[in-house]
Amino acid sequence: MTDRLRRVGRRLAVGVRRVLRVARWETARASGGVDRRTLAAGIALLLVAGGVVGVGVATGVAGLDVDRDVYRVGVDAESPYAEAIEEAPSLRPVPGGTASLGDSTDAVVVTVVRPGAGDDGAIDAADVDEVVVRATDTRKGEAAAASVREAVEARNERVLRAEPNRTAAFPVTVTLRYVGRTTGFDDGATLGGSDGGSTGDSDGDGGDESASGGTVTDADGSGSGTDAEETGSDGSSATDSEADTGSDGSPGDDTTAGRTDGTDGDGSTTGGTDGTDGDGSTTEGVDSTDDGADADDGFAVPSIGGGAFGANTVGSPGSITPPFPFTSLLLAFAFLVPMNFLIQAYGSSILDERTNRRGEPLLVTPLSPAEIVAGKTLPYAAAAAVVTSLIALLVGGGALSVIAVAPVAATFLGATFVGAMFARSFKELTFVTVGVSVLLTTYAFVPAIFTNVTPVALVSPLTLVVFDLQGKAVSAGEVLFSTAPMAVGAALLFGLGLGVYREEDMFSQKPVTRKFLDALAVRLAPVSAGGGLLDRDRLRGLGSVAFLTACTIPFVFVAELLAVAVLFALPVTVSIPVLLVTIAFIEEVAKSVGLYAGFERGVFERTDGVGVGDADAGDADVGDGDAGDAGVGDGDGSLRVALAVGIASGTGFFLAEKATAVVQAVGLTDLFLGRAAFADVAGLSGLPPLALAALFFAPLVLHVTATTVASVGASRGRTAYAVALTLATLGHAAYNVGVVSLG
Amino acid sequence: MIEASGLRKTYGDFAAVVDSDFAVDDGEVFGIVGPNGAGKTTTLKVIAGLVEPTAGEVTVAGFDASDPEMRRHLGFLPEESPLYEEMTALSYLRFFADLYDVPREVADERIGAALDRLELDHRERRLGDVSKGMKRKVAIARSLVNDPDVLVYDEPASGLDPVTTNSVLAFTRELRETGKTVVFSAHNLYHVESVCDRVVVMNEGRIVARGSVDGIRERHGETTYRVFTDTEPTATPALADLDATTEEVGDRYRTAVPTMDAVAAVREAVGEAGGEVVDIRSREPSLEDVFLDIVGRPMPGRYTGDLGGDGTDAESDHDGDEEETKTTKPATTEATE
Repeated sequence: MTDRLRRVGRRLAVGVRRVLRVARWETARASGGVDRRTLAAGIALLLVAGGVVGVGVATGVAGLDVDRDVYRVGVDAESPYAEAIEEAPSLRPVPGGTASLGDSTDAVVVTVVRPGAGDDGAIDAADVDEVVVRATDTRKGEAAAASVREAVEARNERVLRAEPNRTAAFPVTVTLRYVGRTTGFDDGATLGGSDGGSTGDSDGDGGDESASGGTVTDADGSGSGTDAEETGSDGSSATDSEADTGSDGSPGDDTTAGRTDGTDGDGSTTGGTDGTDGDGSTTEGVDSTDDGADADDGFAVPSIGGGAFGANTVGSPGSITPPFPFTSLLLAFAFLVPMNFLIQAYGSSILDERTNRRGEPLLVTPLSPAEIVAGKTLPYAAAAAVVTSLIALLVGGGALSVIAVAPVAATFLGATFVGAMFARSFKELTFVTVGVSVLLTTYAFVPAIFTNVTPVALVSPLTLVVFDLQGKAVSAGEVLFSTAPMAVGAALLFGLGLGVYREEDMFSQKPVTRKFLDALAVRLAPVSAGGGLLDRDRLRGLGSVAFLTACTIPFVFVAELLAVAVLFALPVTVSIPVLLVTIAFIEEVAKSVGLYAGFERGVFERTDGVGVGDADAGDADVGDGDAGDAGVGDGDGSLRVALAVGIASGTGFFLAEKATAVVQAVGLTDLFLGRAAFADVAGLSGLPPLALAALFFAPLVLHVTATTVASVGASRGRTAYAVALTLATLGHAAYNVGVVSLG
Repeated sequence: MIEASGLRKTYGDFAAVVDSDFAVDDGEVFGIVGPNGAGKTTTLKVIAGLVEPTAGEVTVAGFDASDPEMRRHLGFLPEESPLYEEMTALSYLRFFADLYDVPREVADERIGAALDRLELDHRERRLGDVSKGMKRKVAIARSLVNDPDVLVYDEPASGLDPVTTNSVLAFTRELRETGKTVVFSAHNLYHVESVCDRVVVMNEGRIVARGSVDGIRERHGETTYRVFTDTEPTATPALADLDATTEEVGDRYRTAVPTMDAVAAVREAVGEAGGEVVDIRSREPSLEDVFLDIVGRPMPGRYTGDLGGDGTDAESDHDGDEEETKTTKPATTEATE
């Protein structure tokens, strides 16, 4: 035992040493591929870009705005608008007495005083009857008038903010409290985020217009200046359960939407927003999202007033924005940018080995393909880790950000590796890398937009980065849920590519689809019609089928989550049926594409006799005497093979599917769409055990049956496979509908 | 050193190698001859462990060809050898030495010796900037960094100029003298003849002839005699029976015949015409002729220029203008040994 361990350890050490050697040389080689001039040009470009940004920032700081003094506005020094116009960079005040509309000015501010005002020699604010802005009848005049309006509004806001008596300045305090999507079918029915607002209206709080958040209107008539700022920093929903006693008048509201709280005499309480007054079912969601919202200083997009309107600021009602984690999301996106450059270099390096057989000598060394690939990948993975860490440092992220981005980087590299192994030219590689970039960026970025809105956002590891930047804690289950599919997917992508990292496949010019089938087929062991039912070779072959299908689960999971993320914004009446069919299709393809590859490549015996049940069987040698024996006259035999591999694949999928129990860990299935996507026999607790057991195994029956149908089609060629796959998908979709109806 | 039995490799319906058996002795230079698509490269790749055979077994230096450990005893030179062009020759060779766990000092010594022998300069120049011949020499040096027992060279002189070709062939001959076992393929038969001790001739995936170069030539080739006369021979009945053709070459006439008796017939015929024989030359068959004899068609892409090497042609008159006169024979698939 000790000797064995020692041997394993020694082998591991040798492997690590080899990987590091290849990595070292890959680094040297990659750096040698960029000549000094190119490097200098790149650095120069970066410096120029940095310079431009720097100059931009500097001019902004110094007030050297490019839109300075764009419009000339005639205004008297005594005009109440004079200061506003003076302070607006884009406006150049022209003394009203000399101003001539159209000639020397684009707009003129005319102050109309009450009759008799100024008789005492001075005009004050009380004497002003109205102020009129007149502009030239041109587009520039209209723009000048709009700028004057904005300048005045901005000045009013500044003046109000500077007012010591903030209650006087802002007699109405609006506390925004954003809630996560709640659960249940009804929530799904109100997709689009009106769940909070719809009930909020009934509270009489003035109808919160927030897309997905509730609003608490705190009728703080006598407050001492406490405002939303304090509310925001509080973040504790448990602080003001007394809020229910307010003037809400609708204690029966079933969401966390706001209500008018008239009890906060001093305004020091925090808005009374626990939301537990209703059915209590949504309290958790409220708390979690609220914390995040409060912690994100850049929680909203900039408002009209020019500042970010968040929980800790003041502004006009028109400035209220939905809980879009703009700043955090933007910073999180910064993690993805370097990946796009990395995969270009990495993909080129891999393809460079294949073009003109440059990498062939490596295959004759004692190194295994896995060691070669690991060594070639390591520098790029290390670069990704370093860059990610640096970005995390720069944007204020922590270890969570780095951990979250790691599987994204691995998936970028894994997908690029597969693409570079399949691509026939640098031209194809370009499409591959762009495709990988777009797909993965979409997958990572789009769901993260819905951070704090829906659990679906956790599909993307980038959501964890947003949480990290917001300072919000996440559970281990959430981290696992977000990162595991991509991490496992990345590993499987490398495994897929490694299958064709051999002389026979690396240097051939097959189309991508054929290479994909090759990569799958190489992982399968032969299954022939002959032999006993429990023959060792047959079991080995069927085991390989089950394993290969099980390996598709992370991709299925990712594809289904992506489908959920894409479709969840649609009305339920549309999204659910489409989702059910999409998911059925994804799963049926996952279960049967390997079988099709097996039949196509002759690993499995085929009805038409093309294959002879041997991994190399396409070689039915004409001089062999055995050629054509298998298959042609043995339709029953090959049908048996199709049935056997179909059952094996369906079973493998069923078993692996159960591994998706991690979904339950974060309650995604609580979401109606999530439940539809990851349909199970949930909500059937009232049924007898036998029925429950039957329903538990119903997916097994479904997978086996549908896959067997597809398998039989696959054994008979491409067209038959397409037809059988369609049938299997429809059957599967019908099953999904049934399960969702039961749920 | 190398044993292959029942070797077979198929790609789909295409059989690249069919039931090949051969053995290569220690210190032997073994040639695999055949036209493009004959299965030479596939056979070499199976030996090198690059390609898994569909059937059959290959052992190299006592290891199964698929055993990674075998590769420590093997040096492989593919038909095409594009290098990492951004690396220098020295760094490239050190890289491969590193992969074979060769200590740096030993590696530098081997690399230096190989490059010296191959007369390769510009060792610090990027490989992208050196000539094709230089690259080929670097690739050959790469095959030696692990000091292998077996060298598998696929068309080592393919596409090189005559000077570099001679240099490479001479180097291969030297390898034999250092005790290396070399398996060498070429569709240029002159290269094989000048280097190999034994050869197998492959066609359409099968071995169709095997043995020493001389033995094969003896079995499948014919010595021809070229009789140069100052007058065109009279078309006597004896000459007509020989089906001999006479060509005018400069101020002389050349008549090719297969036997010395036929030479006498030519002498008699030219005497009748009032002339005389001025020169007689004999020509041994080349592997080119052998291949033609076995396969029934000329070897595609054969070399017809003057390499200046020690060809097996008994004449120095290797002008190659008479091969095309040979008629074709039906193909045979029988091995002769």
